[in-house]
Amino acid sequence: MATAVMTSLDPKSRAAARGMSDIAIRNLFIVPTIVFLIVFNVFPLIYSLGYSFTDFRASTNSPANFVGLQNYRALLNDPFIWNNFAITAKYVIVSVVGQVLVGFGTAMLLNRTIPFKGLLTTLLLLPMMLSMAVVGLFWKLLYDPSFGIINYALGLGTFEWLANPRMALYAVAITDIWMWSPFVMLLSLAGLSAVPKHLYEAAAIDRAGPFYTFFRITLPLVAPILMIAIIFRTMEAFKTFDLAYVLTSQPTTELISIRLYKMAFQEWQTGMSCAFAYIVLLMVLAITNIYVKYLNKVKER
Amino acid sequence: MRKRLTGILAGIGLSLACTTSVFAQELTIFWAEWDPANYLQELANEYEKETGVKVTVETTPWSDFQTKAFTEFNAKGSAYDLIVGDSQWLGAASEAGHYVDLTDFVKENKVLETMAPATVKFYAEYPGNSGKYWSIPAEGDAVGWSYRKDWFEDPKEKEAFKAKYGYELDAPKTWKELRDISEFFHRPDEKRYGVAIYTDNSYDAMAMGFENALFSYGGDLGNPETYQVEGYINSDKAVAALDAYKELYKFTPPGWAKTFFVEDNQAITEGLAAMSMNYFAFFPALLNESTNPHAKNTGFFANPAGPGGDQYAALGGQGISIVSYSENKEEAFKFLKWFIKDETQKRWAELGGYTCNKAVLESEAFQKATPYNKAFYDTMFKVKDFWAVPEYAELLTQLNQRVYPAIVGGEGTSKETLDALAKDWTETFKKYGRLK
Amino acid sequence: MAAVTTSTERSLNRLAIVGVLIVTMIFLAPIYWIASTAFKPRNLSTTIPPTVVFTPEVSPFVKLFTKRSQLRTPPTPEEYAAAPWWERMVFDGGEKVVRDGKGNVQWSGYPSRFMNSLIVAIVSTILAVGMGTLTAYGFSRFKVKGEGDLLFFILSTRMLPPVVVAIPMFLMYRAVGLNDTHLGLIILYTAFNLSFSVWLMKGFMDEIPKEYEEAALVDGYTRMQAFFKVVLPEAATGIAATAVFCFITAWNEYAFALIMTNRRAQTAPPFIPSQVGSGLPDWTVIAAGTLLFLLPVAIFTFLLRNHLLRGVTFGAIRK
Repeated sequence: MATAVMTSLDPKSRAAARGMSDIAIRNLFIVPTIVFLIVFNVFPLIYSLGYSFTDFRASTNSPANFVGLQNYRALLNDPFIWNNFAITAKYVIVSVVGQVLVGFGTAMLLNRTIPFKGLLTTLLLLPMMLSMAVVGLFWKLLYDPSFGIINYALGLGTFEWLANPRMALYAVAITDIWMWSPFVMLLSLAGLSAVPKHLYEAAAIDRAGPFYTFFRITLPLVAPILMIAIIFRTMEAFKTFDLAYVLTSQPTTELISIRLYKMAFQEWQTGMSCAFAYIVLLMVLAITNIYVKYLNKVKER
Repeated sequence: MRKRLTGILAGIGLSLACTTSVFAQELTIFWAEWDPANYLQELANEYEKETGVKVTVETTPWSDFQTKAFTEFNAKGSAYDLIVGDSQWLGAASEAGHYVDLTDFVKENKVLETMAPATVKFYAEYPGNSGKYWSIPAEGDAVGWSYRKDWFEDPKEKEAFKAKYGYELDAPKTWKELRDISEFFHRPDEKRYGVAIYTDNSYDAMAMGFENALFSYGGDLGNPETYQVEGYINSDKAVAALDAYKELYKFTPPGWAKTFFVEDNQAITEGLAAMSMNYFAFFPALLNESTNPHAKNTGFFANPAGPGGDQYAALGGQGISIVSYSENKEEAFKFLKWFIKDETQKRWAELGGYTCNKAVLESEAFQKATPYNKAFYDTMFKVKDFWAVPEYAELLTQLNQRVYPAIVGGEGTSKETLDALAKDWTETFKKYGRLK
Repeated sequence: MAAVTTSTERSLNRLAIVGVLIVTMIFLAPIYWIASTAFKPRNLSTTIPPTVVFTPEVSPFVKLFTKRSQLRTPPTPEEYAAAPWWERMVFDGGEKVVRDGKGNVQWSGYPSRFMNSLIVAIVSTILAVGMGTLTAYGFSRFKVKGEGDLLFFILSTRMLPPVVVAIPMFLMYRAVGLNDTHLGLIILYTAFNLSFSVWLMKGFMDEIPKEYEEAALVDGYTRMQAFFKVVLPEAATGIAATAVFCFITAWNEYAFALIMTNRRAQTAPPFIPSQVGSGLPDWTVIAAGTLLFLLPVAIFTFLLRNHLLRGVTFGAIRK
C-alpha cells in the first residue's frame, strides 16, 4: 500500500513544497494504526497458532510437545463443544433479533414530535453505560423467585427464570436486550431522522397506507445503518462472557467464551485452548465477511 | 523487528513496574474475599505493631480467586508474597514451582506436632505421604449445617413429624433423617422450603456439596495411590449418594440452581429453609443479629452419617504458602514463624480465624466460644478432599459437566451419570500418565 | 414532522408519547432500583414487595470505602459513644472497621480500583480516538492500495472474543513484564477500541466536504495545518460521539481486567461484585459502588449528548 495517491495538490505547487508530502502524511496517519493492530492483534494470534499444535500448559514448566492436529481433532469430537456452539448461535439470534425489534420500535416511537426528546433519549442510554458484570449480578437478584421484583411485578409467583435449564438462556438474552436495545435505538434514530421528509409527504399525497410507507420508504432507507448496528451487536453477542458467566451456570447457557475461559484460565490447557480459539476465529471471520458483503449490497441499492 | 519491539516493550514495562515496586518492609498476602481474610488482616496488624512490618491482606471474590491466583503465578508475578490457597491447588502450585518448599521449615519448627494431623495432611503435604510440605495450615474449614431451632422445637411440628415418620424431630444424625426433615418442612405454599444445598458449578461448590453425601455414604472419588476411579466413583455407594443429593435438590427453595455460601446463608436469614449446608467459616454472619433476624433461633450440626455409619465432610480451608516469585521471601519466612507460635494461633482463634493448632482446638475456651465450634472440632477429624493433582481443574470441570445436569436438570440415572464421569476421569488420568 | 395537522396524526402522536413513556419506565426501573438501593438500610434491600418509602442513609457509601469485618462481640457503650458518626453506622450494621497497626482506618479496595479505572479508560480512549481519527482521515482522503481489505482487517480485530486474544496476550505480556500494569491494560483497550473508532470516524470524515481543505490549501496552509485547523473542528461532533462509545467500553471492560491484572492495576468492574463475598450479600454496598461507578460515564455522556445525537446522525448518512 504505497503507490497511488489521490490529491488535489499539484506536487510542484507552493502548497506541496511547504510541510510534508501527502504520501508522508498518509503514511504517518495510517501506518501506526495498522502496525499497532498487527503487533497487538495479529502477532499474538500467530504466536498462539504455534501453541495450538502442542500440549503446552502455561501453568507448568514442562516444555511444549508437538502433537499435530490432536487438539483440533479432540475439540471437534467433543460433544460438549458442539453444544457450546449451538447455544451461542441460539443466544446470538434471540438476543440480536430482540434488540432490533425493541430498539427499532422505540426509535420509531421517538421519531415524532415528542417533548423532552433529547433528555428521554439520553436517559434511555443509561443501561448500556453499566458494567456487564454488575448488570448480571443485579439481574440475578431481579430474577430471584423468592425476593426478585420481576416475578412480583409480573405476578409470576415462583417462576424459575434461571434455574430452569430451558428458560435460562432466554433470561440472559432478555437482560442483554434490556442493556443493548438503546444502542440499536440510537443508531436507528439517526437513520430515521435522515430520511428526507419530502418522501413521506409524497407518499401521503399518493394516499399510501402506513405499511406501504414503512416497507417501501422507511425500512430501505434505514437499512444501511441498521446493518451497522446489527453487525456490532452480533459481534458483541457472539463474544458475551461476563453477563452469562455471572447470571447463571446452567450447561444450557455455557457460551463459547465461557467454555474457552474455563479451558484457558481455569484448567490451563493452553495448547488446547489456542486451538479452540482458532476454530472460533475462523467462524467469526466467516460470519463478519458475510455481513460486510451484505452491508455493501444494501448500501449499493 | 520482533526482538527490538519486545525490547522496547520490556523497557516500558520495566519503567512502569519500578514506579509500583514494593517496599522491603511490606508484605502482601492474597486470599479470597470473606470474613477470615478480615480477621487475618487484624492479626497481621498486631504483627505490624510488634515488628513494624506492614502486612496487607488483598482479597478477590471467591468466584475469581483461582483464576487470579494462577494468572499471577503463571505470569511469575511478584505482587503477592504469601498466599492462602485452596488445598486442591497443592499439586499444580508445587509441581510448577509456584510455592516455596517449606519441608525444612515445617520440620525445624515442629509444625507436625503443633498442628492437627488432618490439617497438615490436607493443607500442606503433596504428593500424599511424601513428607514434602508446601504450606502451613492456616484456616481449617469443613462443611457443616445450620438449622432453624424454632421450627424444629415447635411442639406442633414435633408431633406432626412423629406421626408421619415415626421418630422424634431433631437435628438429623443420618442422611435418611436429613431427607425426611427436608421433605417435612418443604411447604412451597407457605414459602418455606426444606433444605439449602450447594449447586453452583462455576468452581468447586457443587462438587463439595456432593462430596458430603458421597463420603458419608462410604463412597470415594477414586484410589489416591493408583488413580483408579472405575469402581469407586461409580460404585453402588456413590450412586446411592448421588441419588440422595438429587433427592435433596427437590426440597430446595425455587431457583436453587447457582448457589454457594452466599445463597445458603441467605436461605436462613430470609427464613426460606429449615436447614442449610455451609462452610463453618461463613457461620459468624448467622449469629450476628444485625445480619440475621433469626440469629437466636439458628442452631448448627455436623454433616450427618450415611447408611453404613460412615460420617465424613468435605474439606474447605486453606494453608498459607510463600510465593516463589516474591521479592520478600525472608520477611515472609519471619511472618510465618510468628504466625505458627502458640500465642499467635490462640489470638487467631480469638479474632475468629479457624486455627489448626491442636492445643487451641482442644481447649475448652475454643470449643465453647461459639455454638458451632464443637461441631467444627468434631468434623475436622473426619474430612476428605477433592483431587489435589495439577489437573484437578479438568477433573472438576468433568464432574460439573456430568453431575450438574443430573442434579438440576434431572437428566439420566445416577448410575449413567457416574459411569460417564468415571470414563472421563480415567481418560484424563491416562492423558497425564497416571493410569496405564 | 412538519405537517401534524390531521386528528389521526395527532392521536397517533399522543399514542407515541405514551409508548415512549412506558418504554422509558421499563428501561429505567432497574436503574431506579439500583439507585434507591444504594441509600437503603440493609434490612430493606431485599424485601418483597420492594420498599419504596424509607429514610435514605449514607451507610452504604461508608461501607463501600472502608474495610470491615463481622462484629463478634458488640462494642461497649463507651466505645460506641467515642466512635465517629460513620463508624457508628458500621457498628449498627453489625460490623466493625478494620484498623491497621497504627490505628488508622483501612480503606477498602474501591478507591484505588476506581482510580485505576479512570487512568486506563481515559488514556486508552484518547489513544483510540486520536489514532482512529488520523487513520480515518487517511483512508477518507488518500488512495490506499487494498483499502477495503485493510478496513475489513481493522474491523475483524474487534470480532474476537476477548478470551481468544487474552491467551496469547497473556503469554506475551508475561514475556515482557506487562501483566498487571496500567500500560498493559491501556494497550489492550486501545487495540480493542481502535477498530470501532476507525470505522465510525471514517463515516464522519467522508461527510466533511473536501472543498474546505482545498480552500485552506489555496490560502497557504500546509496539508497538516489544514487538517488541524479546518478538518478537526468540523469533525468535533464525530470525535465526541466516538469518544463516548470508546469510554463506555473501556470503563466497563471485565474479562481482560479479570485475567490480565491483579493487585496493582486492577480496575473496578471485577471488584464491585466482591462486596457479595463475606458470608452474606450486602446489596446496598454493591448498589452504592455501581451508582458511583456509573456517574463518570453518565456525566461524560450527558455533557456530550448533543454531539452524540447529532454525531450519530451525521456519520450515519453515508456509512
